[in-house]
Amino acid sequence: MKRLLFLVALIGFVTPAPVGAGENGSKILQNRCAKCHDLTGPAPQTIRKLWERDAPDLFYAGNKFRREWLVEWLQKPVRVRPAGVNYLRTINSAPVRDAEEKDKNYDVLYGAVLRPLKHLSLKPAEAEATADALMDLKAHSDLVAGMQLDRNKKVDLDRGEVLFDKVYGCLSCHQIEPGFGGYTGSELYTAGRRLQPAFMLSYIKRPKNWDPKIWMPNGNVKPDDLQKIVNYLILLSKEDFNAAN
Amino acid sequence: MQNNSMGVFLLFIVVLLLSPLAEASETAKDNYRTYCMQCHGMQGTGMGLNIRDMSVQPRDHTDAKAMGGRTDDEIFKVIKEGGFAISKSVLMPPWGDVFTDDEINDLVKYLRDLCKCKFGG
Repeated sequence: MKRLLFLVALIGFVTPAPVGAGENGSKILQNRCAKCHDLTGPAPQTIRKLWERDAPDLFYAGNKFRREWLVEWLQKPVRVRPAGVNYLRTINSAPVRDAEEKDKNYDVLYGAVLRPLKHLSLKPAEAEATADALMDLKAHSDLVAGMQLDRNKKVDLDRGEVLFDKVYGCLSCHQIEPGFGGYTGSELYTAGRRLQPAFMLSYIKRPKNWDPKIWMPNGNVKPDDLQKIVNYLILLSKEDFNAAN
Repeated sequence: MQNNSMGVFLLFIVVLLLSPLAEASETAKDNYRTYCMQCHGMQGTGMGLNIRDMSVQPRDHTDAKAMGGRTDDEIFKVIKEGGFAISKSVLMPPWGDVFTDDEINDLVKYLRDLCKCKFGG
């Protein structure tokens, strides 16, 4: 009898509890994510509040992310924002001279953003459950409701880059391949895999609808160009960048 | 007369109660640090974090000669409508959806402090 009890106890100990039975996705969000991420909103309404933000807001995650990307990323997190979520904390206050470009003394990144992202990694079942819980966070559904990607408004990578850089200047803040472009925006070479097309359309159209004080301007992108830029980002995300995987 | 005073007092209370609902105006310094600094730099010299791969370099706001060549109206316009509006680079985006006109006017004054200059010298 004792041996049987021991066996039962042992099986109970070594068998991982199914996620649904223990910590489900919502509980993981509450217990492990809510300390840094805002799961309820609203987004910061003043600059001072913006500067206090420690991690990306997640209260509209279900209208923002693609679930497949979340599942992958939660198991293997990599940095999406080269200058972190709050670039004021990560730039050097004493610009240094760049040996290769003699006449340039520009602001540089320093600190934690120069090292790989520190973020908890989830096990596969946890990542699936958490992605499900994130996809249930649906604030701002009104902002994506009318947004439909027109896949006929295609551009090739070269024309897309012209729109992205020369016409609207997005490259100033966003990278379109690892290390090429600006730093204060999120990298966009994985955006097509990371983000829902309707979210990209809506966010580019008017960033402050999602995040009232964010440092991305409304570039008054024409409707046709908006479609082309999102199609370009989706095309770009199919390129094979080492850092993207 | 007493009624008038009471009316003014009540109006004052109503304005006081409604004021948090109005869009809060940010200071020029906070706006500059949040939106302009990413390209124009912590020192305002145009050497911001983002500039390495830019085809046109951002304006050095401490350059009295260059800044003195622009009227306040031109500076207002370029902030609100972007570089394209005054035939300069599109890399300067339009900020009219981010700042109120009052905030842009405050930024123009802030820039005049940075360059220690005014139009024409």
